[in-house]
Order: sequence, then structure tokens, then C-alpha cells
Amino acid sequence: MKKSLAIIMMLLAVFCVFSLASCGGKEETTSTAAATTTAASTTTTATTTAAAPAAEKEESDGVATSGAALKVGMVTDSGTIDDRSFNQGTWEGVKKAADELGLESTYLRPNGTTTGDYTSAIYDLYDQGYRFIACPGYLFEEAILEVQDACPDLALVIFDSNLGDNCGANTVSVSWKEQESGFLAGVATAVELVDGSVGFVGGIEIPAVQKFNWGFQQGVAFANENYGTTVEMDPSNFVYSGSFADLALGGQLAITMYDKGVDAIFAAAGGTGVGVINEAKSRRLAGEDVWAIGVDVDQYSVGDMGNGESCILTSAMKYVDKAAYDLVYAAYNGEFPGGTNELLGASTSDLGIPEENPNLSAETMEIVAEVEQMIIAGDIVVQDTADGLIP
Amino acid sequence: MAGKTLLKERKAGNLLVSLSAVVAGILAGCLLLIVIGKNPVDAMTKIAQGALSDSRRIGNTIAVATQLILVGLSVAFAYKSGLFNIGGSGQMLVGGVVASIWAYYGQDIPRPLYLVIIILSGAVAGGIWGFISGFLKARFNVHEVVSSIMLNWTALWVIYEIIPAFIVDPKVPSKSAAVPAAQSLRTPVLQQFFPRSYINWGIVIAIAAVVIIAFILNKTTLGYQLKAVGSNRFCAEYAGIKVNRNIIITMTIAGVLAGLAGVTYYCGYSNIIYRNQMPNEGFDGVAVALLGNCNPVGVFFAALFFSILKAGKGSLGAGAGIPPEIADTVIAVIIYFTATAVLFRNLWNGLFHRIYEKRVAGANVKGPDGSLSD
Repeated sequence: MKKSLAIIMMLLAVFCVFSLASCGGKEETTSTAAATTTAASTTTTATTTAAAPAAEKEESDGVATSGAALKVGMVTDSGTIDDRSFNQGTWEGVKKAADELGLESTYLRPNGTTTGDYTSAIYDLYDQGYRFIACPGYLFEEAILEVQDACPDLALVIFDSNLGDNCGANTVSVSWKEQESGFLAGVATAVELVDGSVGFVGGIEIPAVQKFNWGFQQGVAFANENYGTTVEMDPSNFVYSGSFADLALGGQLAITMYDKGVDAIFAAAGGTGVGVINEAKSRRLAGEDVWAIGVDVDQYSVGDMGNGESCILTSAMKYVDKAAYDLVYAAYNGEFPGGTNELLGASTSDLGIPEENPNLSAETMEIVAEVEQMIIAGDIVVQDTADGLIP
Repeated sequence: MAGKTLLKERKAGNLLVSLSAVVAGILAGCLLLIVIGKNPVDAMTKIAQGALSDSRRIGNTIAVATQLILVGLSVAFAYKSGLFNIGGSGQMLVGGVVASIWAYYGQDIPRPLYLVIIILSGAVAGGIWGFISGFLKARFNVHEVVSSIMLNWTALWVIYEIIPAFIVDPKVPSKSAAVPAAQSLRTPVLQQFFPRSYINWGIVIAIAAVVIIAFILNKTTLGYQLKAVGSNRFCAEYAGIKVNRNIIITMTIAGVLAGLAGVTYYCGYSNIIYRNQMPNEGFDGVAVALLGNCNPVGVFFAALFFSILKAGKGSLGAGAGIPPEIADTVIAVIIYFTATAVLFRNLWNGLFHRIYEKRVAGANVKGPDGSLSD
């Protein structure tokens, strides 16, 4: 009893000393003066950290969301930075732009997925002088709404979300027409397979994943109607795993489907999807003719079987790295489009299947290109609802 | 300590042991930081800043500590009677989901009554979950580790279905609808001191729980019996203590505590429940309990310590340029070494023993033979 008590007393004492030492002279501010508080602690940081660039001071004074002093950050969603999917895509875009511009950049992994965890991570970056923060995923919505008002000089980006009227003047929400990307992957898959059966493993039932699924089904159906293919879609092979991070579960779902005779599985499930891809990989190595279809980014390398081939037929991509990259540049140039809700689609070349698909034939690629042009021209409208589809 | 006339061997006190463990933890963390080429003082300062540098951060540190205190108490309480409650996560989930259902459907209930209802119902739900483990252990001798882990998954998947059926967020089917602030444990009474933080009534519940559990363990017959069962089950039985009854009571109370943690977590710190997401706090609680030496007051401070480290991690990453994965490692190292308190007890006692022997030899007096060792 006394022991633990002592532990903590000691700890608290130590930490208090640390924080007092570091916060000496900081004025006590009241609830409303959010910016003042932050500014104070930022300045404090600058003084305690020998290496801190003088630029920080400038930023704490107010406005600068542009120029060389900009520090760009990212907060990861559930999952890791190397998920070969959404987190990684965002980070690669942010990092690439930051490196090209010579900006300081970092990412943080929150303690959990509650709004509190997210806002804490965002404030951690903000208080250290970061003025551009990218948040990949709809889970951040509530956190963004809380922070955007408290930090008016912070450029916030949320992906996979449409904040609508709630989007603050310093926030950009970006969403994609995933159905178009799924559609193209569906067409490519059906045309390449000609016959057989396809399945779908989703992560959590969120709009982005659902739209991939619905688009994929429409794409396969479109190919069946227009390109003479006979690819089946059995409702029992279209499932949501309920997780973006359960590798084992993905593997099990894939085993069940492949055993039932499914030839290709569209895995739109982050880490769970990697489980599907791994199963496809081991089956291909064992001589079976099965495929997996990747999501979000070109997952060809995820399906690499070690012999120069991959079990990834194609990937339904949305170019989150491109979006992140562009927005960092915009913020750097002082042109951050705060207050807008961007909806990106095929017409702006913000999604599609990879240009290089070694597993797709040239004819298939031609057909896909043709279909893509039809989507861009508006001849094909891919619905983003479940009407008449497997939900 | 030992007087000249009355030579007594000094034993390492709890204070000394704890302090050395914590110092060792922080030093180990510093060492790791030096190895990766970072300034340890700067990094430790960043942790402290991240957790405590303004009122919002202090509020959040307390809010995070809240559920850790309650789950830690749950584990500690069970541990006192020799049971290992690793089912904190499942108990949190059921407590949280019951409270969330009230929050969804009970919006017309006056707030004071409403708060009492969600707290009690969450506690009862957690208690039932704990009771099942206790009952299985008492009646069929199913090990509580097995049953409580399985019950974690049972809770997870039951809730996986409950959320879409009753409390789903119409926009996002993978989570429950957000509990409005007026329906949660968050309160302006506390938030005025910690603006923009997620502090809530939970901390009051947690402190009350610490007091009550300390009272039960130290001042009541029940507590005495529980500890007797924990020390030696067969001896307790021989002494006429109803072991099975005590096991069930223990697990139920442990479940109640974790259920309360669920209420404060899902209707206080957070306001939504995700499908298919096990709260980590259930497992962190084990570490908190052990760090706190399974003592209620110890648990309280251990939870604060954990919470400070957790809250400071982000700042460590953002301010000291340490990638999150390394920051996690640093935190883990600090906790790991802090948990080696037992080693320090032996170390200090060994040291004291040697000093004592020297003194005895020097004073040319014989020490009392049997009483030296414990």
C-alpha cells in the first residue's frame, strides 16, 4: 500500500518538477483563451528545446500556415503506419511533399480510437508547432469538429469524410467516389476471369467500403452484360469481417470462399484484407488459380509471392497519397482550400486501377480504359447505394 | 535506523522500494533514449508537458486514469482473493453498452435520476459478467482466466449484434450513435476547471470505489475472508470460510468495478462504442493493479502514472521527434522497469542484511537468530 502510494507521490513530484520547470512563467489562462494557452505552451517549447527552430515563435503568433516554417503532421487511424493501405498512403503523400519542400514532418499514433484520443494527438502536434495535420478516416469526424474551432490557424484535412456544412474555414474534407474505382476493378476482374465466381471481404461497414463493394458488383454485372462474361456473384460470398486489422480472420474468410470455388476475392479490409491476400498467395504457390483484388493503394507488392509474381489481379485504388501531397503543397503555397468538401472521382483522375497490372491482359486493360472514359463522359453512372445489389 | 543498544535489521520499506523502481524505470527509459540518440531530459520533459502542461491536458490525463483506476481495482480486488480477472474488457463492454442503451432511449429521464440509472445498470451488467466467471469457477472449477477471456469475446460479439439492432449510428453502421453531452457523465461542474477536456463524473466514482474497496478489504469480515481465501484456499476452508461463496462474490464485485469502468469510458471519456473493438483498458488494468501492488490506493496512483505516460506519449512523438513506435517502446520500458519492484525489495533487503551483519560483527553482539529472515 504505502509502496504504491510512494511510487506515485514520487512520480507526480518528478513530473510536476519537470512541467513546472518547463512551464515557468506561463500565464494561467481561462477557458476561452484557447489560442493563448496554446501559444504560450508553444513558446515554452521553443525555449526549452535548444534545437527548436526560431520559426516556431513566428507561428505561435498567429497565422502562418504557409512557407518554409510549416510543419506538417498526420495522425493515424486504427491500424499502423505501414498498413499498406490508407494510413500508409496518406503518410507517403505527406512525407513526399514535405521532403520535397524541406518541411519538418511527423505522424502520431493515438492511444485508441475515441474522439478523446484523436483530439489529444492533434493537440500534441499543434502544440509543438504543427500547422497542417492530415487525418485519414471518417473516425476523425467528431475530433475535427472539436478542434477546427479551437485552432483556427491549423490546416486540417480529413479523408474519407464529407463534413458538409460543418466543415470549418480551416478544414478540408475529402471523399472519393469509391464506387467508380470498384466498378473499374469489377470490370477488369470479370473480363480477365471470363467465367467463375467472385467474392468480397470488407472491413467495417462504412460508406467508403460499402461503395467499393457496390461499385465492384456493378462492374462485374456490367461486364457480364456488355462483354460476354459469365462471372457469378453469390451473396454468401460478399461479407464484412467487422475489422480492419484482423489478419487471421481475413485468412479464414478467404479459406472458406476459395474452398467454395470462388476464383477472386476483392479484399477491401485493410489488415484483414492482407490476410485474404496471404491466403491467395499460398494457394497460388500451391498451384491453384485464385486471385485477390487489392484496395486503396496498388497492393501488387503485398501479393508478391517471392518469385516475381503476385496474386493481386488488380487493385481498386483511390489516390489518397496524391490528395495528401497536393494539400501539403497548397498549404505551403498559402492556397489551402479551407472550408471545402472535395469529392474526387475518375473525372479528375483521383482513382482507378493501377496503370501497370502484370496479371491483366492488354485486351482487359483496353476495355477498362474504354469503360473509364465512359464513366468520365458520364455515359455510365455508378450508383453509390445498395439498390438492387448485395448489401 | 538500528539503535546502538537494540540492533535490529532494517527492512526495505514500501516507499524505498517504490521509489527505486520508479527511478529505475525512468532511468531505463532515458538509457533507451540515449541509445537512439535523443536527449533524455528533453524527452522526459515532453512527456510531462504532454500530460500536465495545461488544464485541458490535466483534465484528459485524469479522464484516462478514471477507467484505469476502476479496472485496476477490479483486477486488484480479485487478485486479493487469489483470482485473476482478465475479463475486464468484456465487463467494461457490457457495462458500457447497457449505459449506452439507456443514453439512447432514456433521453426524457431527469438527469440526476438518469445518471444513477446508467451507473447502476452498468455496474449490474458488469457484475453479471463477473458473476458468470465466479460461478463457473466455484461450481465447476472452470479456471477464471479461461472463462473471463472467453466472456470477453462473448461480450464483444453480442455487442457486435446489439449495436446495429438498438443503438446504431444511422450514418455509420459500425458504431453506436454518439451519446449527446447532456446524456453522458461529462459535466460542466468539472469541465469548467478543465476546459475542452473529457473529464467526467467517472473520477468521482473511481475515487469512491477506491475508498469503498479499501474499506471492504481492510475493515470488514468479508474482506478478511476474501484475503484468507486468497492466501490459502484450503486453510480458509478448514477455518470454516465458505470458499465458493467468496469466489463468486469476489468475481461479481470485480465485474461491478469493471462495469463501472465501462460506463465512464463509453459514456464519459468516449461517447461511442465501435463494433468489434475490445477496449485495451481491460488489459492495462492488470498492469495497473500489479504496479499498484494490488492495493486500492496503490492502484489509484499507478493508474495516474500510467495515464501520464499514455498522455505524454503523443507529445514525446511530436516534440522530440521520436516515432510513435519508439515512443511506445520507451513508455513500455519505463513501465516494465517500474514493475520490477520485487527485485528492488530483495536488493535492498540483501544490502541491509549485509550492513546489519557487519554491524553485528563490529558490535560483537549476536543477533536474534530466527527473526532475521522473513
